[in-house]
Amino acid sequence: MTPLLEIQGLNKRFAGLVAVNDVSFSLAAGEIAGILGPNGAGKTTLFNLLTGFLASDSGSVRFDGRDLAGEPPHQIVNRGLARTFQLCRPFAGMSVLENVMVGCLAPRVRHRHAPRARARAILEAVGLAHRADAPVEVLPYGDLRRLEIARALATGPRLLLLDEPFAGLGATEIEPISALIRRLHASEGLTILLIEHRLREFMQLVSRVIAMDFGRVIASGTPADIVRHPRVIEAYIGRDDEVSETGEPPAGEPRGAA
Amino acid sequence: MKGRRATGVIVVLAALAALPLFIRSEYLLGILSVCFIYGIWATSWDFMSGLTGRENFGHALFIGAGAYTAAFLNGKVGFAPWWGLPAGAAMAGGLSLVIGIPTLRLRGPYFALAMLAAATIMQRLTLIFWQYSGGEEGIPGLDPLLESKAAVYYLCLGVFVVITLALLLLAGSHWGLILRSIRGDEAAAQAAGVNVTFHKIAALVVSAFCAGIGGVLYAHYQEAVTPDVFSVALSISIIIMVYVGGIGSLYGPAAGAVLLALLPELLRGLGQYRLWVYSLVLIFILFFAPEGVIAPLWRRVTGGATGGAP
Repeated sequence: MTPLLEIQGLNKRFAGLVAVNDVSFSLAAGEIAGILGPNGAGKTTLFNLLTGFLASDSGSVRFDGRDLAGEPPHQIVNRGLARTFQLCRPFAGMSVLENVMVGCLAPRVRHRHAPRARARAILEAVGLAHRADAPVEVLPYGDLRRLEIARALATGPRLLLLDEPFAGLGATEIEPISALIRRLHASEGLTILLIEHRLREFMQLVSRVIAMDFGRVIASGTPADIVRHPRVIEAYIGRDDEVSETGEPPAGEPRGAA
Repeated sequence: MKGRRATGVIVVLAALAALPLFIRSEYLLGILSVCFIYGIWATSWDFMSGLTGRENFGHALFIGAGAYTAAFLNGKVGFAPWWGLPAGAAMAGGLSLVIGIPTLRLRGPYFALAMLAAATIMQRLTLIFWQYSGGEEGIPGLDPLLESKAAVYYLCLGVFVVITLALLLLAGSHWGLILRSIRGDEAAAQAAGVNVTFHKIAALVVSAFCAGIGGVLYAHYQEAVTPDVFSVALSISIIIMVYVGGIGSLYGPAAGAVLLALLPELLRGLGQYRLWVYSLVLIFILFFAPEGVIAPLWRRVTGGATGGAP
């Protein structure tokens, strides 16, 4: 069976600094996997390459058997590959429902489902239905995280890339989002790839971890294997991996995780 | 709430339609006609820039393109004046593609600056190619679109209302939602599957098309056109009207433009202090009501909570 996503020899360099270095891996349809790595390991850059927000220097990304080289972000979304952002990026000045409706207007889904009804159903699924008419400016951070996921779901993806879906959340807020991701994977059959720089959240959630450091894949395996992997331990020792407990890495993040 | 809004719109429109029955002064009807033309310009500016958040500092480019196309066809070639409407709108729409396609692909201030530069360059070109454009003097002696001032009043009012309602309809549609998402966050819009470049250019073409129609009406109202229609001052005054009306609401800028265009006339009794008071009023409004005046006021009166169509 051909994998849903196949990455081969992907490279990206920013002014001499190698952000993504010869990365290769693949995802099977229906898989839920995580990319682990310290801040600046190249995780977000990798996401930007996969979703067309950045052009790679070399290497290939195949999604559903099709080479994505040179495709703009909106076209990649319309092939069924959606993403969320590490920082919540709601459409200011619009209601929660309208935010999700924009995703429902993607050509991929627009003609199959009435956008408004579909947006309501998605809000229901992520637990934001009671907030549908609220302006996004009044949402607490946990709900913004849900909205971020809802808007990506609205485009009808087959593969969902979640960039630090727990960033900025307190300990009690993490579990409900984690449960939501598990539910989406189980009930919708969605293939999910998520980024996280803390190991703990991964253990219950993913079946496979791809560990990155300095732009390279340093290890790959089940979460239990990864925590014992010497290269992973080395990457984490001497680092304060809880530095950005509250969310974003500091401005001017090292090693170009765009 | 919807009912109150509809009633409000009908009352305002009925009052404007009945005005020529009470105003016998041709001068005043002419002033009001120009106010409606300003309304067209402000609403069309708001459709592109208010909805997508990409500010256009050279709306006069489209106004001038419409006005000069109409003036050239009527004054130099001798076409009937009505030909100016489709030709002027098409010329403005075409120019918007020339500016929009290279600059709206980029983020940053390129679009705003390109619009500012293009309008200024066009103003110079009217001086350089004076054989065709009449140079400093412009093109005088145009035929009016309609003979009586009252008829011109109704024409300008009609075009203004039709354009405003059409743009409000578009802004309230799914397309309007997509345009507003671009203002909200361009990268997030892309991630939601929006082809942001295409939609920004399409909105600019619609905006330019309407502004061009306004330019044609203006040229034939004045029965002349001068390089001032390309001026930076005109572009800026339209932006001020939009801000006073309430950016992004379309109906606010429409009403704001009519009132602000009328204000210097209303202040005529103040003589030499007129512009002084006018400027102070603007500064006060922009300082104390950064959201604008008319759109928030209208929402309060009609009980609407959020933006969108009235």
